[in-house]
Amino acid sequence: MKMAALGARQWARALLKARGQGFTNAFIGARAASGPSKDMLPGPYPKTPEEMAAAAKKYNMTLTDYKPHPDDGMGFGDYPMLPDKSQHERDPWYAWDHPDFRRNWGEPMHWDFDMYIRNRVDTSPLAMDWKTMYTTLLGFVGFMLFMFYVGEKFPSYQPVAPKQYPYNNLHLESGGDPEKAPEEVKNYTI
Amino acid sequence: MADYRESPFASRPKTLDPAEYFNLSPDYRRAEEERAALRANLKRQYQLQLNNPLRKELIEDPALTRWVYARGNVYPNFRPTAKTSLLGALFGVVPLFVLYAVFKTDRDKREEQIKAGTYDRKYKISY
Repeated sequence: MKMAALGARQWARALLKARGQGFTNAFIGARAASGPSKDMLPGPYPKTPEEMAAAAKKYNMTLTDYKPHPDDGMGFGDYPMLPDKSQHERDPWYAWDHPDFRRNWGEPMHWDFDMYIRNRVDTSPLAMDWKTMYTTLLGFVGFMLFMFYVGEKFPSYQPVAPKQYPYNNLHLESGGDPEKAPEEVKNYTI
Repeated sequence: MADYRESPFASRPKTLDPAEYFNLSPDYRRAEEERAALRANLKRQYQLQLNNPLRKELIEDPALTRWVYARGNVYPNFRPTAKTSLLGALFGVVPLFVLYAVFKTDRDKREEQIKAGTYDRKYKISY
């Protein structure tokens, strides 16, 4: 009986809050009790120092390390902004809890963690600086394109002439009269 | 180890970072100790659960739960600002009109050519 009353009250509260925003939006505040409590889940952007300290504790980071994403309405809330380094860069020889991900249990995950796994984006330091690589590639590609363009404009082929046939341009083979003398065709000069 | 040179394609491990050896300021050390304490605590929690012989279930990772929750609940923290409005317009509104214009002009041009009989089908597999 009490459960029914509770359910009815929740319905009433949800309907009042929703007021035409849709069926699913009416129950956004309602969650199952099986998962973590509300204070262990990400929340809105922290404004006061106490909120910052609580958020740092929640994410298992020191207060100096914990920096939320800038509050520009993009939807990050209080999720920490970690350095953009892929899992490729982590020590391969350390005994991680999850060796494939190179991550320890409970460690705060980067927002783009699924991009930075070892099958995907790699931000490791490169053999030479970006500018050198960029200029080398563009220089080579540009040079090849330029040369192909020049080749189109000024083509150069082997010299070719029409095919020359013997026996007076094959007079008999091409159906010429055997009695009649063919015109003399000379395809050479000595 | 003093002459360790890391591979050009990897970052230097933290334990071989020169800042660890030459940075003697107490503040740095205290910060490092705090971080190490947090890490050790997490390690301990994980190892206790991992090596518990009576454990039957999967070890749930709250950091993973939080990550999944954060990625799925972006809208409650969304706020219409200049930046978000601009991005929304750029990715949601502009392509509609631009693509319509592009496709329309291309198709009209092709229709003109077909009607005039000048459409080149030399390398076309389909029409």
